[in-house]
Amino acid sequence: MTAVASSATDSGRTRGARFRPSALGWLPRLAVWAAIGYVVLYLPLGRPPTDVQRFTEGVAYAIVALSLNVMLGYVGQISLGHQAFVGVGAFTSAYIVTEQGQSFWLGVLVAAAVGGFQALVLGGVSLRIRGLYFALITLSYGLVAEQNIFQIQELTGGGAGQAAPKPDWFDTEWRYYYLALGFLALVLYIDWRMMRSKSGRALLAVRENPRVASTFGINVRAATLFAFVVSGVFAGIAGAIKAHSDTQVSVDVWNFNLALVFVIMTVVGGLRSRWGLVIGGGFFALLPYFIEKIPGLEDVLADIPLVPRVLTPEIAPLVIGPLLLLVNLIKFPGGIGQQIRPITRWLSGHRFDIHDKGPKEVQITDVRA
Amino acid sequence: MNEALRARLGWIVGAVLAVGLAVVLIVTGEENALVIGVTQGSAYGMVALGLVLVYKSSGVFNFAQGEFGTVALFVLYLLDFETNYWLAMAGALAVAAVMGFLTERIVIRPLFEAPRVILLVATAGVALLAIGVQIWFGDAQGKPIDKAFDRVDRITVLGVQVTDQQLALIVVLVALAALLALFFTKSNLGLAIIGASQEPTATELVGISVKRLSSFIWVIAAVLGGLAAVIAVPNLGSFGPGIMTSQFLIPAFTAAVLGGMTSLPGAFVGGVLIGIVQSVATSAPVFQDIPGTKSTLVVFIVLLVVLLIRPQGLLGKPAR
Repeated sequence: MTAVASSATDSGRTRGARFRPSALGWLPRLAVWAAIGYVVLYLPLGRPPTDVQRFTEGVAYAIVALSLNVMLGYVGQISLGHQAFVGVGAFTSAYIVTEQGQSFWLGVLVAAAVGGFQALVLGGVSLRIRGLYFALITLSYGLVAEQNIFQIQELTGGGAGQAAPKPDWFDTEWRYYYLALGFLALVLYIDWRMMRSKSGRALLAVRENPRVASTFGINVRAATLFAFVVSGVFAGIAGAIKAHSDTQVSVDVWNFNLALVFVIMTVVGGLRSRWGLVIGGGFFALLPYFIEKIPGLEDVLADIPLVPRVLTPEIAPLVIGPLLLLVNLIKFPGGIGQQIRPITRWLSGHRFDIHDKGPKEVQITDVRA
Repeated sequence: MNEALRARLGWIVGAVLAVGLAVVLIVTGEENALVIGVTQGSAYGMVALGLVLVYKSSGVFNFAQGEFGTVALFVLYLLDFETNYWLAMAGALAVAAVMGFLTERIVIRPLFEAPRVILLVATAGVALLAIGVQIWFGDAQGKPIDKAFDRVDRITVLGVQVTDQQLALIVVLVALAALLALFFTKSNLGLAIIGASQEPTATELVGISVKRLSSFIWVIAAVLGGLAAVIAVPNLGSFGPGIMTSQFLIPAFTAAVLGGMTSLPGAFVGGVLIGIVQSVATSAPVFQDIPGTKSTLVVFIVLLVVLLIRPQGLLGKPAR
């Protein structure tokens, strides 16, 4: 009994014993869970393969958002060259499978390892530099990846790009989609366990105040490097998944614009909120899809007054994304994650509290320079 | 080493590096690369001046600085069909100024208290928005752009013809650097800006509006970005969406960091130095085997090395 009592005080609530929904209370929650499961798991079965491929891309973007969140959300360092990590992951996996004739699984593994190794080298050299200057380094590295690394013919297959066939058993778009979801679940699990561990809490301490963290015996540089490596591993996995979903990795998509879209979807999704990040990543990947599918929306965008040209679904994220980001930063700093927090808390068996904005620390404005 | 020499050490190191690299280029018969390097570097210096100004006043790395330039280029391109080239250029700079003003008003001011990393993300958002709108209104294709000066054989340096357009770039940069230096040491407004960047609270207390100064700085920075674009990019012949961000922003940041991030002359020296270093990299046989654009890699290495061994740059003061 004492354990229960202490956990109630730990959660900082003064409502007595920890709230548990009754059987009747679980019913609507389970219904919502079932609806989410239906949309995510069952709905794609009825869609044509080209649509499913885009859903898979949404899953890959969600992993990218989780990857950037480790840097931006947990330790408060921004990476503006994340397209390089994702791109290197994609090319590595494609290279292992196509050029070396190895299996997809080895490809993903090597992509993750290369992502982590890249972060280890770049971070090891440059993480003495923190804050704004580190952002500059990563941005510059992104350009180097785009203009030097991806120009290596053996790795990228030149202008035509590198082929990346789907693995056995997962050779239809639907099966591959479930595989990607499996990887997303794996990344979510790793992220969740990491943040429950001592080193996860150390990361948060480093973000809050590096000096205080180091007085408590946390090696700030090692903790930041650790976060960067984890971020690189996630990015490598995301790249491999995207590569084998598209079955062809081309050279010219890994540009600065993509790096910014990645950062924007992470911030709009909501730092340190796994739900928000997954939604943010999926939303930005599927934005062109929504514009095509929602009836009338494409016509509205085509007829915006005073604009000579059509806002096509392909360029819409570049215009809508930054606008969302600015509104988000100025008005809703917690992102989607904070806005939907009452719902996610309710779903996981807590009371519905519309005013629940999360712990005060869940504020993007807490990220330190 | 005496004090006077030590105070000028940054200048000396910078000058020795620049002259040394220039001599290397001349000796190896790459005078053409040297001229291109110096003019390209002048453009970096001009973009870097804007970056330094904003950093001094708002303490933010302005990732939208390049896009002030590209937007000005698009306006110049469009107006050039309608009217006289010089009017078009004035219009382009006016649009850049308005964009700088709006960025400060809509994005920077509400986030005045936010951490600097958030401001950085916000300015990067402005840059992406500008690129998105450029692709939307125009298209992703490159567009030809006219030069202001067409004559190419007025001056010959080391056997290389310097076009009037290149000459204009260098002259404008030198004039601007001198003008800004005078502005910040002699005029009341300039001194107020310096004051606001060092002690905002004290500046408010003596009756100066720090916010108004901030708007002013952003407008100046945007005009500098616009000028750099409309004078430098015609040398390349054509432009596309986001060109100032993809080709000029990172070298300009490197130049600003090399110059010490808070030093206006430093930005100028750093820009020219980066331009020359890029020329050495693209022409030196050592780098022949590197795939892709060699200058990008070299800028990355320079940035990394400067930040690791001398984070205060050539002319900056070490952090206390």
